[in-house]
Amino acid sequence: MKNRGSEIADIVNGIKKSRRESIARAITLAENEETLFPDVIKRIYRKNMQTRVIGITGAPGCGKSSLISFIGPKLMAAGHRVAIIAVDASSPFTGGSFLGNRIRMQESLEKSGIFMRSMSSRGSRGGLSMSITNAIIVLSSAGFDRIIIEPVGSGQSDTDIMDITSTIVVVLSPGFGDEIQAAKAGLMELADIFVMNKTDMPDVDRAERDFRYYLSTVPPDKMVHEIIKTNAISGEGTDELVRSIENHEKGVDQTAFYKKIFETEVLRIAKDMVAVELEEIARAKSEWIKRLSTSGLDPYSAADKLLNQINNQS
Amino acid sequence: MENGKSLKFYKKPIRVLLAKPAIDGHDRGIYILARAFRDAGMEVIYPGLLPTPESIVNTAIDEDVDVIAISLLNGAHMAVFHKLMTLLKKRKVKGIAVVGGGIIPDEDKAKLEKIGVSGNYGPGTPLSVIIEHIKKRAEEARSEK
Ligand SMILES: Nc1nc2c(ncn2[C@@H]2O[C@H](COP(=O)(O)OP(=O)(O)OP(=O)(O)O)[C@@H](O)[C@H]2O)c(=O)[nH]1
Ligand SMILES: [Mg+2]
Repeated sequence: MKNRGSEIADIVNGIKKSRRESIARAITLAENEETLFPDVIKRIYRKNMQTRVIGITGAPGCGKSSLISFIGPKLMAAGHRVAIIAVDASSPFTGGSFLGNRIRMQESLEKSGIFMRSMSSRGSRGGLSMSITNAIIVLSSAGFDRIIIEPVGSGQSDTDIMDITSTIVVVLSPGFGDEIQAAKAGLMELADIFVMNKTDMPDVDRAERDFRYYLSTVPPDKMVHEIIKTNAISGEGTDELVRSIENHEKGVDQTAFYKKIFETEVLRIAKDMVAVELEEIARAKSEWIKRLSTSGLDPYSAADKLLNQINNQS
Repeated sequence: MENGKSLKFYKKPIRVLLAKPAIDGHDRGIYILARAFRDAGMEVIYPGLLPTPESIVNTAIDEDVDVIAISLLNGAHMAVFHKLMTLLKKRKVKGIAVVGGGIIPDEDKAKLEKIGVSGNYGPGTPLSVIIEHIKKRAEEARSEK
């Protein structure tokens, strides 16, 4: 067992030297909400305005991981330092999870050496993990300038991805009514780029037609016209997709993006702190609250009373 | 971002890399293990085929796992585990335990234990035994991180 100070120093120095084990360790500290984590962040944090976060979202099985296995190396070849985070859902019953996004990426990761981390949603709704922003901050501070995020596969409008990304790619595939699901779920308003994947499948033309029809019902100012067609087995169309991502990046206001991510995280941390404090107070006051329950007071008035007490104390 | 259930429920799950170094046609067995580990509250990283000890170590490092669990049915266990343990040492990896399983003759089990590969359960071992063992090794590994 190391002492706290030397453990922090090890991780901080490791991250400064881009050691993968240190970067990975810091992400674990964030996930486990270890008290060491804030001390690590305070020492490694740097405002890296070069960092772009690319979200690749879409229904389960539409080909997100397979596409990333092509996009990652291509961005790397363009001179970027690339990292990937892919999220899978945790079981609501046991808290455990099966993290399987590597299956379609492993070969590509081994060839390219790209850093990849599988994350469990750990009970978060919205297809991400509570600690995803912290993971992004760690990676960005460690010098990664392109971070690709694969959220839990979903046909739902998981708008949380908007808070943490600068470019959102929505992936559709034929055969499962994805195009209609996407329309229903409001994915159209989310997308910066649409991809129709699995162009080798027989239904692809019909799927694209259907999807274009739904697109035509979106208010014009929010409409993305372009649909990039890909085959994530052969890689066909993925050059074009990468070009499209790079094009979109050119138009991103990095200052605004940075502000968005920073603001979201500061608020999350503050809420967390308040929640912890509140829980402590509630525990300390549990007898008092119990007494109120027999007083006939309604819950809202009782909560008011509790808050008054807290405010008077601080 | 919303968080659902109480944080305590999800606190610090054990992370296991379920590694399969060779194509030996026992995907079904691997999936049964994966499911059992998940149901025991663990985070199971399943990357499909990890052909070389290098790829196992690289993946284990990025994923910061507590345990590498390897199931081998093709008789190549001694060579694979030897290379893996040597590499872990060479790269000074700390805090990752290695647990083995498969068809392993008794005389090899002792040798494997000696180089730090524990468990070495054969087919038919109750899942609960394997899970308890992984929990124990994970706890030891974490204290060395
Ligand atoms: N025919 C065909 N199959 C594809 C294509 N892209 C992906 N697949 C297959 O579709 C399945 C799912 O691919 P993944 O890349 O895992 O999809 P995903 O969206 O990451 O899936 P989840 O993470 O489970 O939501 C796999 O069997 C892929 O081989 C494609 O362009 N054509
Ligand atoms: Mg995937």
